[in-house]
Amino acid sequence: MFKNYFKTAIRSLLRNKGYSLLNIMGLAVGMASTILILLWVGNEVGMDRFFSKIDRLYIMNNRDNFSGQLQAWNSTPKILGPTIKQNYPDVEDMSRFGNNNFLFTIGDKKITESGGYVDSSFFKLFDFPIVKGNTANAFNGVDKIVLTESFAKTLFGDTDPIGKTVKVDSSDIFTVSAIMKDLPANTTFRFKYLMPWTYRAKINDDDKYWGNNSIQTFVLLKEGAKLSTFNQKVRDITINHTKGNDNSTTQVFAFPIRDKYLYNKSENGKYVAGNLVTVRMFSIIAGLILLIACINFMNLSTARSEKRAKEVGVRKVVGARKGALVIQFMLESIILSFISFLIALLLVVIVLPFFNDLVGKKLAIRYGNFIFWGLSLLFIVFTGILAGSYPAFFLSSFSPVKVLKGTFKKANSKINPRSVLVVIQFTFAIVLIISTIIISQQMHYIQNRDRGYNQDALVFSDMSGDIPKKYPLIRQELLNSGAVTSVTKTMSPITQQYSDGWGFSWPGSVKEDEKLDFTRFSSDAQFVKTMGVKLLQGRDIDIYQYPTDSASILLTESAVKAMRLSNPVGSVVKGDGQDWRVVGIVKDFIIASPTEKVSPMMVLGPHSWFTTIHYRLNPARPVADNLKTIENIFKKYNSAYPFQYNFVDAEYAQKFVSIERTSKLTTLFSALTIIISCLGLFGLAAYMAEVRTKEIGVRKVLGASITSITTLLSKDFLRLVIVALLIAVPIAWYASHQWLLNFQYRIGVPVWAFVLAGVLSILIAILTVGFLSLRAAKANPTKSLRSE
Amino acid sequence: MIEIKNLNKIYRTDEIETTALNDISVEVKDGEFVAIMGPSGCGKSTLLNIVGLLDNPDSGSFLFNGQEIAHFNERQRSDLRKHNIGFVFQSFNLIDELTVYENVELPLIYTGVKSDERKIRVEAALDKMQIMHRRNHYPQQLSGGQQQRVAVARAVVNKPKLILADEPTGNLDSKNGGEVMEMLTSLNEQGTTIVMVTHSEHDAQFSHRIIRMLDGQTVMENILI
Repeated sequence: MFKNYFKTAIRSLLRNKGYSLLNIMGLAVGMASTILILLWVGNEVGMDRFFSKIDRLYIMNNRDNFSGQLQAWNSTPKILGPTIKQNYPDVEDMSRFGNNNFLFTIGDKKITESGGYVDSSFFKLFDFPIVKGNTANAFNGVDKIVLTESFAKTLFGDTDPIGKTVKVDSSDIFTVSAIMKDLPANTTFRFKYLMPWTYRAKINDDDKYWGNNSIQTFVLLKEGAKLSTFNQKVRDITINHTKGNDNSTTQVFAFPIRDKYLYNKSENGKYVAGNLVTVRMFSIIAGLILLIACINFMNLSTARSEKRAKEVGVRKVVGARKGALVIQFMLESIILSFISFLIALLLVVIVLPFFNDLVGKKLAIRYGNFIFWGLSLLFIVFTGILAGSYPAFFLSSFSPVKVLKGTFKKANSKINPRSVLVVIQFTFAIVLIISTIIISQQMHYIQNRDRGYNQDALVFSDMSGDIPKKYPLIRQELLNSGAVTSVTKTMSPITQQYSDGWGFSWPGSVKEDEKLDFTRFSSDAQFVKTMGVKLLQGRDIDIYQYPTDSASILLTESAVKAMRLSNPVGSVVKGDGQDWRVVGIVKDFIIASPTEKVSPMMVLGPHSWFTTIHYRLNPARPVADNLKTIENIFKKYNSAYPFQYNFVDAEYAQKFVSIERTSKLTTLFSALTIIISCLGLFGLAAYMAEVRTKEIGVRKVLGASITSITTLLSKDFLRLVIVALLIAVPIAWYASHQWLLNFQYRIGVPVWAFVLAGVLSILIAILTVGFLSLRAAKANPTKSLRSE
Repeated sequence: MIEIKNLNKIYRTDEIETTALNDISVEVKDGEFVAIMGPSGCGKSTLLNIVGLLDNPDSGSFLFNGQEIAHFNERQRSDLRKHNIGFVFQSFNLIDELTVYENVELPLIYTGVKSDERKIRVEAALDKMQIMHRRNHYPQQLSGGQQQRVAVARAVVNKPKLILADEPTGNLDSKNGGEVMEMLTSLNEQGTTIVMVTHSEHDAQFSHRIIRMLDGQTVMENILI
């Protein structure tokens, strides 16, 4: 019997190539989108969950009160890990992870790469796959290093790297002890190599200060140890260790690593769904796209019901029960779903590299994976049943007497389930169109936000190697060379905030003001000129002209406002163990997130610290020449390190990667939804035109014009689209309003977006339906009337 | 074989009631060949559908082989039908996606006949209808006469006791029509009961008895043999 069903299904597909193509392509596009999203969702949900001891792995966190808000964060003091391991029997082991960035030298090859410091037990906690070497004693010496496979290849080519040596930071020699596989896509760890924590102590970078939260601490609890009990015990560890000294109020708690990625948003000192919200959102979108594709399938299948009605009648007459026919049509849609899946898989293979670029991941289809094929089979059957259920019950319910005697009443051309399906489809499509418009508007809004400084030809370099020592020489030579117009050294790149702090006081400040958080920045001289910020009062810092400027500061206007200073210039601000004299006031400028309000900021004089040189290229000379000149100067004074530079505008653009990604993804998926919906509408219109052939014939015989018939046929569809529009508008308004709340600096929900989406959707519907209506209207009436 | 007594069938739409069968009583004996004639709308097709278990009467009694079946549900009717009744339609009603062979095989699949047995019986039926050489063709590749022969083969493949033919020659020219009538006659001679609805006096002459209907009632019977 299944053979017979199969044959009928295949032959029916081949006989109606146009419909089959519409049907299969619609479903394939929908399935491909769903597969792409599910690949991404699978990756997100599996983030950091593949370690064998995942159920006992935790990351240590802090919780404290800032400006009345409880906040949680997971950077911890370096001393926390060893203290916990020593004093808490619940802890089987711990490892810290601290980022680093070093220059590697092998012969003439010089490469700067980022990696991490870890404790020797790191691999006991995190069993990353190892290619060569032994992780048990990978760090049994201060000069051992573990490399990822690709980084080992970069350094040593195809030779066996184990036991080979490499010079790090122009001074120390390390021996390669193990090679690990490159990090998988589903981990939040980012490193190319791992160094022992003991090296950190050797280079005097391992402080025991409880107030310096700069590294991550991971613990492995013993079997049977309870998280709640452990958290109770460990809560006051920082408070107890700082009593009578810093008197910290920071509480400590452990949080499961398996939930670290998905529940990454701190709310009232607790972690709540952060990335999980995006995962949920895209899972819903995946479900909706699949549903739309299935609705499409239902529309096209039932639209062809007239063609299948005779078959249903015959099969019933010769003995088929309704159940047998339901199974037959279900099987048919599963076959279609299978064919669509194969095409979808092909589409996925083709677009996956682009999709990976778009989402910034390394997603891959695991062909060798049994689970993948199992899930695919489920997916095919699920889609087949979802898409086939309505047509199956609809078709199998035909009465044989009616269909075989030709008295079969063609479906009512007004409201019917099919119209409802079209409304649902277009509601989704319109919501997505509106979201796309609003997301891209918000993106442009923040991209075009006034940054408060001038990014043109502004470049920065790290102060690596000998640069801090030889900075005065380098600065002078840069200025003399004509390649730059000004130079300033700073605490961080102007696109990144490295430091913020509180505990400042000033004339007229009260006790609560000590909790006021200031963003820290620093400069030696030429800050205003180099950055192009606007000086509102006073003067720039200039240590070369005013030797007392090492303790001078500039305040931003929002700092002045928050501090309630009426005559800021000349006042003294106490903090960071220093008295700072305000020499100037500058306009606010963005160094952190362009989506948030600018916090009060201090630009501190040279008593602060520096990591970065900013310089503005001379606009009168070609950029390449300028960079060449600058490179020569840097190489002259810092020969061990390669010359590296970053354009500020490019770095600033990085801040928009995430929202650009959201924008591109919504654009992509709304385009797909529209395409699939149009296929469905096209199918339904074709059906309606067929159903109303006789009516059209009669109308034409009675003198109706082509225009009036085209209008008549298109009108019903426009009505459906308008109904969809009415349903979509409040949904889209609510969704975009909620989304915009994520941004402190945001647009209002623009009314014109709704109008535009409405006009667009109606236009698309007219184009889709109009063609078919026109064709039906032009048909010769004698044919349609004779056929009755 | 068929005993119908005081049968009524009324079709209702929103506003109109149409009486299709009005207190009709008909009897068909085993091995008979009966023709039903009458103008369009007289209820002959409705009667045929009820006899063919495709439709239920509203009231009255319907004995099939002595069993009262007027109250049967769809599943019971379907079971009874597939084992006992074969249909031949005016418009052939072959499934376009299936070959000649597969169309004839279909009733056997639904009655659960094993595949080897099916092959034997399908080939025998095709042979009998002299359409064996076309077994792998699709319906639209055949002439009307050939299609109707396939339809007859399909109707007889299950060896039904009763064949219902609804204007079997209505879409055929006289030569092909004549052939189909000869086939039905020959089946009748081999013991199959046949009830045929027709407009054609010529075709009706092949039967043993003509039941003439008007407005849902039998108005006259002509016994031909």
